[in-house]
Order: sequence, then C-alpha cells, then structure tokens
Amino acid sequence: MNKRERALKALHIEEPDRVPITELDIEIPHMETLTGSRFSGNYSLQTSVSADRKHEATYIKIKAKCYKRLGFDVVFSDLSAPDGWETVVKQNGTTTDEWGRVLVRDSQTKAWLPGGSIFKTPEDFKGFVSNSPDPNAPGRTFAAEYMKKIVGEEMAVAVFIRDPFAHVWEMFTPTTFVRWMYEKPQLVRKALKVLTKFNIEVIKCLADVGVDFIVSGGDYCETKGPMVPVKYFREVIFPLLKKQVEVAHKGGLKFIKHTDGNVNPLLDYLVNIVDGVHSLDPSAGVDIGEVKEKYGDKLVLMGNVSVDNLATKSRKEVVEETKECIRKASPGGGHFLSSSNSWFAGAKLDNCLAMVETGKKYGRYPITV
Amino acid sequence: MANNKMSVDVRGFIKGIQNMVSELAGVEEIKKFVVKALNSRINPVDVMDAVSHGMNVVGEKYEKGEYFLSELIMAGIIAKEIMNTVAPYLNKKADEKSIGKVVIGTVKGDLHDIGKNIVIAMLSSMGFIVKDLGIDVPCKMFVKTIENERPNILAMSCLLTSSMNEMRKVIEELSKVGLRENIKVMVGGRPVTPQFAKAIGADAYGANAFEAVKVAKALMKRGVRHE
Repeated sequence: MNKRERALKALHIEEPDRVPITELDIEIPHMETLTGSRFSGNYSLQTSVSADRKHEATYIKIKAKCYKRLGFDVVFSDLSAPDGWETVVKQNGTTTDEWGRVLVRDSQTKAWLPGGSIFKTPEDFKGFVSNSPDPNAPGRTFAAEYMKKIVGEEMAVAVFIRDPFAHVWEMFTPTTFVRWMYEKPQLVRKALKVLTKFNIEVIKCLADVGVDFIVSGGDYCETKGPMVPVKYFREVIFPLLKKQVEVAHKGGLKFIKHTDGNVNPLLDYLVNIVDGVHSLDPSAGVDIGEVKEKYGDKLVLMGNVSVDNLATKSRKEVVEETKECIRKASPGGGHFLSSSNSWFAGAKLDNCLAMVETGKKYGRYPITV
Repeated sequence: MANNKMSVDVRGFIKGIQNMVSELAGVEEIKKFVVKALNSRINPVDVMDAVSHGMNVVGEKYEKGEYFLSELIMAGIIAKEIMNTVAPYLNKKADEKSIGKVVIGTVKGDLHDIGKNIVIAMLSSMGFIVKDLGIDVPCKMFVKTIENERPNILAMSCLLTSSMNEMRKVIEELSKVGLRENIKVMVGGRPVTPQFAKAIGADAYGANAFEAVKVAKALMKRGVRHE
C-alpha cells in the first residue's frame, strides 16, 4: 500500500496498513531545516500573494521534498494568484490581497498574515463586487497542478481553500463583520455568496486537476465555541458550505473542514455536511475520543496532537500524547494523525519528529497501543 | 428586543438602557433612547452605570454559552456608541471621565491582533482610555510608552507560543527601570495560562475579552495609581 492508497483508505473510513500522517502546513524555517533547501520568497497559507511562478515552484518543490522526507501520506497545496497578479508592497510594509485584506509580513516565518481591510464602508464592498476575483482566471490552479505533477500518485494531494465565512470575517475585520452582520445583514450574506460562488468554480477546476480532497481553511470557532450564533451557522453559513461540498462530491473530491477552537456545538450539523473535520483543538477542550465515539463512523478525523504542546512540552510527553491520540482516534480507520493545527516556527522540531516517529511505530493496524 | 418606550421615571430609563444593551438593541434606537434620557435630566453617570450592568449581563450570557463572540463584540460596539453619545453631557475631559488608562500591544515576534482588537473595543466601551501599540511591539517600546503615558495597566497579548517569553522580558525590564511597582500587568492570548501569567510575574490573566475587562476593572479596584 503506497502513501496515497493509505490516505484514500482513511478518507473512506477504512483501516489502511497504518494511520496516515500529515500536517496542514509546515512553516518555512522548519522546512528549510528538514530539507537543507533555502527559500527566499514570501508565502501565505491564508491567501495567494504572488504570481511569481519561479518562486512558487521553488516553494512547492521544497514542500514536496520535505513531506516526502518525513514520509507523510498527504501533501497540501494552496490556490495560486492568477497570472499577472503583482504584490504591491506599500511604504509601511503592508500589501493587499485580491480580496481586500491588508497583509503584514512576518519576517521570521516569511509569511503574510491578515492585519486590516480596505473595506471601511458598505459602499467600499459594493464597488468591489463587480470586480471580485475571477475563479477561472489563468494560473489559479498552478500550485495544485505543479504539486500533482511532482508527487504523482506517491502521496495524496489535498488543496487548501478558504471558507467563505472565515474569509469575509477577515476581509471586513471582525468588528466590522459583526456590525454589518447586525446592521447590514444582506451585505454580509452577499459577501458570503460571492465567496461561495468563487469556491464552487475553483473546486470544479481542482477536480479537473485530479487532486484527492479539499480542506476548507479558516476558523468557525474560538476557544469557548462558535464565533457567531449556531442559528446563524444553520441558516446562513451551512447552506453555503453544503453547496461547496456537493460540487466537490460531484467532482469526486472529499471535503474536510478545518477549524480551530471548540467545534463541539457544530459537530451535529457538520456530520451531515462534510466528510471530515481537521484540528479538533484539544486546547479548546475538544476530546478526539469523544468525537470518535459519537461521529467516527461518518466523519474523518484529522488531528489532534496539541500544537501548543509541540512548543512547550518534552519529547516524552509528546510521544505519550501521540500514543493516546492514536489509541482514541485510529481504531476503525478514518483518522489522519497530525497536530491540531500545523508545525509553526515556534514548535520544537524534535517534538514534531517525535509525533511522526510515534505515529509510524504505534499507528500500525490493528491498533494495539 | 428591549422595551424602548419612553418612561417618565429614572428607574424606567435606567432599566431600559440596561435591557437594550443586554438584548443588543439597534445602535440608532438605543442612542435615541439615551438622548431622551439625558434630555430628561437623567444623570449621565447613571446612564453609564446602566451600560455597565447591561454589559455584565452580556458577559454572563457569553460565559454560559448563551451568547457568542459576535454578540460580545456587538455589545462592545453598542457600549462605545453610548459612551460617545453621553460624552458631551459629562462636561469633563476624556481623562477625567475614564476609569483607567491601559497600554496594550501584541508582543514582539507576533503579528496577530484579532483578539487584542476585541479586547480594545471592550475596554474602550467600558470607559478605559486605551493606547494601542499594535503588533510585534518590542520590549523597549512598551517601556518607553509606559514611561511617557503613565498608564494604570499594561496589557500584553500573543498567539504564538514562541513569543510568550517576550511578556516575561517586558515585565523584567519594567522592574529594572523602576516602573513595575506603579503599574499592573495583565496578559492573555491563546497559549497563555494563569500558571504562565503567575510564573512571569504578571498581576492578572484574562482568558477572553470579557474576562479581560473584568480583570482590568478588578485591578483598578485593587488600588492602581491613577493619574
């Protein structure tokens, strides 16, 4: 069984030979250490920041090399900026993405992070709608195609897209989003629909590329629970999520929803919409064993070695936590071992490697740990 | 939705404002009601007290899981709008009206500001003057600002585990230059715990935006110097 086959078995909630292992992302400093390669450009998991295909190809090659070296079963790709997109960096060091999000560059990780918005008034958004990004623009799936070309059938390839809710929450900034959610509900709904329409077209393109599954990034929850009322999820956000999942399924793609935070109040709904959930954030009180027991026959679970513990705990403690995670979530299949978010630059690399080694050692089926 | 019918008695006005805040009435509706109250010679301080009580109800509902983050943020927006409406009636300078001054920032090495900005909105809405130093704030900038601004409280935030020790560094530097004893320090952010706050010598820890406001108010009551 090769890595891709192992991942596909788990995606179908069947037991492969071993629990598949992967990470949603590994920040550049760790990838440089693991591969010995250097990357001089910038990147962002949260948006497409450059159409410099040479830099993008270098980044993808380093990522594929890193994931292969770790023996991961799935590698993740991002969406690309369309051909011709230029990153304009202002004097204050910020740039603005296609979606009007103002980004700030983290010099340590070389990543662009959202830090503001161009949308100050409802009129700003109304003007934006008519010129919103084209999902079918040439080059949009460059990264996915290039990644697929490099890894072939060796590893499963998943593509990270942005959830409309999380994207609009950041596009408008949380305070403006909430104010408009109450005062201009139709405007927020319109924004969510624009993003959903974009995603639907992108998912169709990704199905043509031949990737294996979609991960919809962006958080629904914070530590205490959902960021907006569950009713709003039911009435506004989930119907739009469902539309994306249906298109993915038509294209033969599984659909995994990522969210940090306490997702427990949403799982009863998500189980009927998506194929799986990533993160299952233990720092927010999510117990992967309880989730497995309640939803394990329907939901693929990706997680959940604490991303915080990777930075603060000892190797021995991480080994024990990983064994516990496998014991709770792997039996019966449908589990991908990963951290509860990603290997960020502050995580101890030795702890990250301990998680992988433990996964390979104790993740063999039948699970006996 | 709260009862916005004009009431002739003070208690009716006060209760009305409190309910409108806690039930998240529309901003314009509640502003009109507040202006009516103020024009009926309701004491502006009583209006602010009503807002404070309303916000406490919102916070309790959030703690119990009856309200969500969006409702906490919206309550902060409403409270801030009322503060702005009441301000001209208070006939005092901004510093005199405030219940305390807070310097806040995300520590060096960390560019995340969503949580910090929500805390700022909540603190401002509750009558604190807030000086926001932004993100990736170096230790020196915290110290210099505290020296110049003389706030009551320093609030530091971080999301990255790798940046947590910057909080300790700032507190140590404040001690070195003799500023620590005149200021209370509160910390928060995803990886921060009460144990960590204690270990680095912070005075308090806030688990979320609502708790941050409660903590800041409690710190003020504990007799922080207020210039």
